[in-house]
Amino acid sequence: MSFALILNLVWHVGTLALIALGLAIVFGKLRILNMAHGEFVMIGAYSPVITSSMGLPGWLQLPVCLLTVGLVALAVERTVVCRLYGRMFDSLLATWGISILLREAVELIFGRGYQSVSLPIPGTVQIFGTSYPAYRIAIIGCIALGFAILAWWNSRSMVATRIKAMVENPGLAQAVGINTGRLSAWAFVFGCCTAGLAGLALAPTIRVEPMMGLDYLIKSFFALVVGGLGTLEGLGLGAGIIAGTQSLVGAALNQTYGYLAVLSLSILFLWLKPDGIHSALR
Amino acid sequence: MASILLYASLLLAVLLPIPVLFGDFTAYQIGLYLIYGIAAQGIGFLWGKTGVLPLGQAIFFGVSAYAGAMSLRIADGLALQLAAAAGIVLLLSAAAFVLAFLIFRGRSESGPYFSLITLALAMIAEQIAGAATEFTGGFNGFSGFASLGGLDPFGNLYYIIAAAATGMSLLLFAINRLPANLIARAVADNEPRLQLLGFPTHTVKGLAFAFSAASAALAGILFASHQGIVTPTSTGFALSAELVILTAIGGRFHVLGPLIGAIVVGWASAELRFNFPYWELLMAAAFIVVVLKAPGGIAELLEKSIQRISPDLPIEESDRTGAPMPKGRRIVGSLEFENVHLMVGVVRILNGVSFATPDTGIISIIGPNGAGKTSALNAITGHLRLSSGTIRLVGDRVNSRPPWKALESGIGRKLQVPSVFNSLSIAENIAISMLADRASWADYLRTDAFNWRSEELSRVLNRQGVPLKNSNEKQAGKLPQGHRQFLEFALAIASKPSLLLLDEPCAGLSPEETALMTSLVREFQENSGSLVIVIEHDMSIVEATSDKVLVLNHGEAIAFDSYEAVRNDPEVVAVYAGGTK
Repeated sequence: MSFALILNLVWHVGTLALIALGLAIVFGKLRILNMAHGEFVMIGAYSPVITSSMGLPGWLQLPVCLLTVGLVALAVERTVVCRLYGRMFDSLLATWGISILLREAVELIFGRGYQSVSLPIPGTVQIFGTSYPAYRIAIIGCIALGFAILAWWNSRSMVATRIKAMVENPGLAQAVGINTGRLSAWAFVFGCCTAGLAGLALAPTIRVEPMMGLDYLIKSFFALVVGGLGTLEGLGLGAGIIAGTQSLVGAALNQTYGYLAVLSLSILFLWLKPDGIHSALR
Repeated sequence: MASILLYASLLLAVLLPIPVLFGDFTAYQIGLYLIYGIAAQGIGFLWGKTGVLPLGQAIFFGVSAYAGAMSLRIADGLALQLAAAAGIVLLLSAAAFVLAFLIFRGRSESGPYFSLITLALAMIAEQIAGAATEFTGGFNGFSGFASLGGLDPFGNLYYIIAAAATGMSLLLFAINRLPANLIARAVADNEPRLQLLGFPTHTVKGLAFAFSAASAALAGILFASHQGIVTPTSTGFALSAELVILTAIGGRFHVLGPLIGAIVVGWASAELRFNFPYWELLMAAAFIVVVLKAPGGIAELLEKSIQRISPDLPIEESDRTGAPMPKGRRIVGSLEFENVHLMVGVVRILNGVSFATPDTGIISIIGPNGAGKTSALNAITGHLRLSSGTIRLVGDRVNSRPPWKALESGIGRKLQVPSVFNSLSIAENIAISMLADRASWADYLRTDAFNWRSEELSRVLNRQGVPLKNSNEKQAGKLPQGHRQFLEFALAIASKPSLLLLDEPCAGLSPEETALMTSLVREFQENSGSLVIVIEHDMSIVEATSDKVLVLNHGEAIAFDSYEAVRNDPEVVAVYAGGTK
């Protein structure tokens, strides 16, 4: 019983870390506070609905998800977000408008009601004497692998440095040969796609509906507040603390209290440790 | 005053005949839009002036609507009902103040954190309102109460709402003319500079947030009476979003903008919602366009000429009156560094700096780039926290306190890159510097303070060649860099600091202006008898002005003596001749 609780915790932390990763790139690196981040989770979660409504086989869910989320993100970046680099408050407002736009568009297409998505991997597996859904185990494994690859790649690649250079001084970055338009567009699309992937992973386990994104936006944002911006360890810690608090308090009392606990924690962090727990430990 | 009454009577002339001209139902609808408009006016005040964007105003709106509805169910008699309403508004605005105060304390920007927290609070409030069925009636709503004073929502209540909207507008127009308004606008413009002028900006933002919460709460009280039912949506995220959109589209910089936005959007929504399915998409798109292209909204388009009602500042120098004395300590005395270490991350910036200045005079700090000169000043004003060691001014520890407390101890500062309030006029910049450390709470609510002039400030402004006179109405951001140096110097000395820190005051000045600036610095020192610390690279200025010279290199004080002695110091010579230590 208690081991299932731990696995549940890992599941929540993993999916939240994946969503927060995208936000960390877009907010932490591009300095765009993307209020529509949760809507990309939502669009990702709708991709099985899209796939099945078009009569496509289930294995196409992943490409459909990446394609839909990627194209929407690219369109958003090219039309609106590209004008907002260096204007953080305006980015908050404009992407907020976009989040409403995306919610309403999805509502017009699919209706306001809940969509249910069937589990691609049914059944449970036995781990340490506890039976746990096989699907969640598979996703946890994928997320862990994905973060391992990312950490390895991040330590070797110059992309993070190039993005930082671009945000600090776009003119100079261009002068030293960085294609800033392409780099920022790719970084934004990548950030949104991690949110979309998380949405796809979550879809069979939650109620898919147009308003679902907001919750994930707030939680991933608070994960960044608590973990601090800039490092993968901080991201993991932040996601762990936020998802951990919410699922533990939520399990012990109820979801509203879980939410309240997360919120109070975030206010405490902003008040006392504005740079996050990672900087506090250093 | 006349123009305020003109606006108010215009507003009343538009609002009062509506029931007669268009019938009670239209008046009922307009009443609802006006209620949203009142809440939006609070958002416009907070966001348009201080730059703080609240994304969860429906918390105050909804909680107040619930509390108001409950009080209407219990309380009999108008007096009791009004007292309850006033209590609700006060309590909610006090809660808002505490929240903003805690979150903004220790910061010098507004950032997105605050907005997100208010958003999360609204989401929680909606959940609680839906879950706490025995108090709120859950999703069926809270109903079964009479309206305020038993007024008919389809009849006389409209006049109360119109009066409230007019009253709120009058209040906001009046605030627009006060020093308090200037300080609120200065927060959005240049918060670090405002802190150096001794203003606790987290308190300013807390008060502005409290005001916006009060207006949302007032709207909520009216909403309960108007609708006769309160549901969880009235405290939730969607309403919060809509209120911000109304404010943005109507125009957040103008008092009437949010009201206009509420009526225009409300009316369009009533017309279009049911026969045009893309209505919500249209709203969102309009919002995005306003953010990208027209931040002033409809009000600015309507009234290009009066973009922001700025206070009527008198221009005549002869009208000036004496200002009250600064409230903070102004004791001239020695500044001491005791083994000061300063690290930022892993970089050692100051490495055991110790010195004690004389009680008065001009001290120059010189040293190569990266020696730690500006960081030493940042340590004095509290922008950087020391790793160890102590900084004392006249015997009292001043390090590691928030920057807004520096002026209280008599520390004034001019920053390296001239930092003034770019969006405000020169006159407004100067008015803020005169309020600094002098104004009492009451002075922020009286226009008299705009006339204040201190001796120090007048001497600078009236000095031949200082390029600030006769351009009072000019926006500070449009001044050339050199003129901004003089303006920032004026801001820094207006409150007669006993320790004045000047970071490269002559950077970007012509030779004539440099001579003027150095003589202004010297005159200020001679007249006030205070201690002045100048960071300077130009050795001729250092030689001409300094009583003593402190040489920093690699975060260490390598010499502190008269100019002559320092110039002959072999270690200093080695640093400046490019030799290695």
